Amino acid sequence: MLNLLFPALAFFWQTGTGGRMSDVGNSVTHPDLSKFLVIGALLFIIGVAGVLTRRNIIVIFMSIELILNAANINFIAFSRYLQDMGNVNAVAGQVFTVFIIVVAAAEAAIGLGIVIALYRNKETIWVDEIDLLKW
Amino acid sequence: MYKLIWLVPLLPLLGAAINGLLGRRLRFSEKLIGGIAVGSVALAFLISVLAVYSYGFGGGQQRWPKPYLTSEEGGLPYSWKWIPGGAVELTEGNAERAHIEGMRQAGENAERQAAEQHLPPGSPVLVAVPSVPERRTGALLDVEWSYQLDPLSAIFMLVVTGVGLCIFVFATGYMHGDPGFYRFFAYLGLFMFMMLVLVMGSNFLMMFVGWEGVGLCSYLLIGYYFDRKEAGDASRKAFITNRIGDFGFALAVFGIIATFGSAQYTTVFDQARAFPLEPIGVFGLMSWLALGLFIGACGKSAQIPLYVWLPDAMAGPTPVSALIHAATMVTAGLYMVTRTNVIFQHSQTMMLVVAVVGALTAIFAATIGITQNDIKKVLAYSTVSQLGFMFLACGVGAFAIGIFHVVTHAFFKALMFLGAGSVIHGMHHEQDMRRMGGLKKYMPYTYWTFLAGWLAICGIIPFSGFWSKDEILWNAASTTIIPYGWVLWLVATIAATCTAFYMTRLVAMTFWGKERFREKPAGGEADEAHAHAFAEGLKPHDAVTASAGDRPRHEPGEHVGPINEDVSGHVADHGHGAHAHGAHTPHESPPSMWVPLAVLAVLAIVGGFIGISPAFTGGSHMGGRANIVNWLQPVIWNPTTGQFGSPHEGTEGHGAEAQGAGAPLAASEASSVEHRQQSEAGGAETATPFGNTGFNLAQAAEKALGSHAAAEWLFIIISLIVAGIGIGLGLLFYVKNPRLPDVWAKRLAPVYRASYNKYWVDEFFGWAITRRVMAAARGVYAVDSEGIDGAVNGTAWLTRTASLITGGFDKYVVDGIVNGVAGFVKRLMNPILRRAQTGFTQNYALVMILGLVLAVAFFFSRDLITAVKSMLAFIPL
Repeated sequence: MLNLLFPALAFFWQTGTGGRMSDVGNSVTHPDLSKFLVIGALLFIIGVAGVLTRRNIIVIFMSIELILNAANINFIAFSRYLQDMGNVNAVAGQVFTVFIIVVAAAEAAIGLGIVIALYRNKETIWVDEIDLLKW
Repeated sequence: MYKLIWLVPLLPLLGAAINGLLGRRLRFSEKLIGGIAVGSVALAFLISVLAVYSYGFGGGQQRWPKPYLTSEEGGLPYSWKWIPGGAVELTEGNAERAHIEGMRQAGENAERQAAEQHLPPGSPVLVAVPSVPERRTGALLDVEWSYQLDPLSAIFMLVVTGVGLCIFVFATGYMHGDPGFYRFFAYLGLFMFMMLVLVMGSNFLMMFVGWEGVGLCSYLLIGYYFDRKEAGDASRKAFITNRIGDFGFALAVFGIIATFGSAQYTTVFDQARAFPLEPIGVFGLMSWLALGLFIGACGKSAQIPLYVWLPDAMAGPTPVSALIHAATMVTAGLYMVTRTNVIFQHSQTMMLVVAVVGALTAIFAATIGITQNDIKKVLAYSTVSQLGFMFLACGVGAFAIGIFHVVTHAFFKALMFLGAGSVIHGMHHEQDMRRMGGLKKYMPYTYWTFLAGWLAICGIIPFSGFWSKDEILWNAASTTIIPYGWVLWLVATIAATCTAFYMTRLVAMTFWGKERFREKPAGGEADEAHAHAFAEGLKPHDAVTASAGDRPRHEPGEHVGPINEDVSGHVADHGHGAHAHGAHTPHESPPSMWVPLAVLAVLAIVGGFIGISPAFTGGSHMGGRANIVNWLQPVIWNPTTGQFGSPHEGTEGHGAEAQGAGAPLAASEASSVEHRQQSEAGGAETATPFGNTGFNLAQAAEKALGSHAAAEWLFIIISLIVAGIGIGLGLLFYVKNPRLPDVWAKRLAPVYRASYNKYWVDEFFGWAITRRVMAAARGVYAVDSEGIDGAVNGTAWLTRTASLITGGFDKYVVDGIVNGVAGFVKRLMNPILRRAQTGFTQNYALVMILGLVLAVAFFFSRDLITAVKSMLAFIPL
């Protein structure tokens, strides 16, 4: 659990143990999820940080894509993990990934449309100048 | 056929419903309305005739059939449980019985305890009285809605539907052109239904429903011309007077239910037979029941002192007077007394009361009738007088004769009322006889039929009135039920003389003598109405007064009839107001009016043959069951034998419990003759249930003449002589020497004034009762308007004031606090909280993320603590 809470720390912590598989008790190899989860967590954090801090709305969009892809990585990782554990039919994660990519593309299209409409009205794409939700 | 009798009341109701509910909405023509009404009654009459025939004469005449009840058929069309058992539980003194049982048990306990303690018997022992639960006997008042066909109800069915049919036909002509045509026939049909329920019901509660129903219809029809004040007043007077009677009737019905545990006639009378007789001096349960019933009969049948409503009821249309206030409704009291004759005959006191009231009413009303000038008023007082005769018959124990007089009276009085209606119609709504005269020439049909009614009511030999009236007088003289029968006979004979006199006067003033209808109004009641209408500027027969009917508002001297009309040919459609108003030339009425007159005239002539006096037929009631006296035997209780039926027949099984096994008729007739002969042999041997009743005129005559038949013939001759005297005096006064009435009116001025003013009875009631009731009503009104309204208004004021105060408190104090606090918080928090609303999406997203982190942290709080602890473990402290 520690690696969930401190992803970066956990990542460096684990680099020593190489490979997708980890030996437990030196007899049976198990698929090792933690590296993928760490990558996904890092991507998610980067995405969130981007959404919260960047002023350019297009960059915020890109950050959102990062968040989505963090989720994708998790899906893929768990799917492969389950397959390696013997459940060859565990493809739901991969299917979901495809869905997410499609939804992300659609969302990007709509989002960019909104951005263009916004730009035409406000002549800006800096979010700190867009405060229409204010009271 | 008699299984269809449930249709008899239903058909007029159906007709009334159709006319009343649809007549106005669908604008039925008069023909259609009249057709529906007359058709329904005609069908009911047909069914009645067939039913009575098949009941009394069909299927072997040997035995008297039991009373037929529709409930014996079962099923809905025939009868249903009207008040099912359990709606009312009869206690039958269960509480008292439980108490008695408890005391008895306590006594036993005391004895046992005394025995256990070896105490001498009778020594005091303290024991508790055990509480015994009330025994549920399951005696539930179970009232069914079923019709009963027995000799008594059969007669009334025939009279009500038969005479009613004639009057319905007449009314279609009489009410022609009235805007309320449909309403009139709806009321009339409803009345028929109620009257038939009254006479056909099989229990006291159905009788009560019919009783009240006919009262209601009477009220509606008297007040039919509700735009005239006197009609409204008269209808209310009739209703209120009847309430007084109904009060007694209702009490008696309660008493009957409480005593016998049932309202069914058969059950009640079967039990009532067993009660002991109550001679004069004993006023027990039966007397009280009879008293209540008789008060009811007094109200409905217009006996002293409750007769005052009937003369006023003449404000209604004339067919109503004929149907309700002469032929049917007012005889309901007779029906009820005859129906409950078991109860009445148990009480000698009440029989005496009935007879005395009847005789007094007969003479009282007859003497008033002599001086009245309104043709309908004369007939109304005549009706009251004839009803008195009927009650006299009941009071002396001759219930069958009373019913016989009901029937003949229905014939001739309906005939005379309809004749009067025809005259009024022909005279263009003139009712004052002083403005008539000589109508014989103009209204031949009306005249000749009226003559039949006149001779019938006077009691001339073979006309119907003679048979019944003579029998009443004979029975009054020969009664052994009550004392002083001869006094009643004397009174009734004088009343019969008066009857003959005033009826002759009526005929003479109306049909004979000088034609007075062209004269100018010379004063009097009718002329007051004329003058009044003139002052109001109203025209007769216009839209406003078209319904003013029997007392229209003519301008004095206005032409109200066609001048150049062929008098005898004026039988066609006579639309009021459609023609120019000519002189007061009377005209004959259309066939729809004189045909019923003719039918009733025939009945008035031959109707009496259903009850020919035994004197004419060798000492027995001839005709077997077709004779009304024999016909009614099964419903008449005989106090001597304690059975239903006459003394000799009753023992042979005419009693209620053995009505199915009646005696062969031939035998009963034979024994009837035998009985007559026996009583001829020795009048003293005749069974008298109440013992010796003192001087008996008939028996004295028998002794003097030596034979029963001779005594009967003597009384017949006497009654014919008095009728002749009455008619002769009438002819002398009003035909031979028309000056005599005025001379004698002056000579007997106090008597004349008393009679003319109806003995000031109305004034007396006004002074003695109405005035006080009004004063009391005003007092109650004052209490209501000042006291109760004041209390209500005061409370309202108090409430309003209190609400003003609390409202102010709420508005200024409570709202002030709330608003103050809210404003304070607003001012305090405003600068801080508004900062949160930056309007930047990223800020909101940040808050979301922070919230997410917090949520996750909370979710994993235990792991977090572990992690912190393990990390702290690395830190060297």
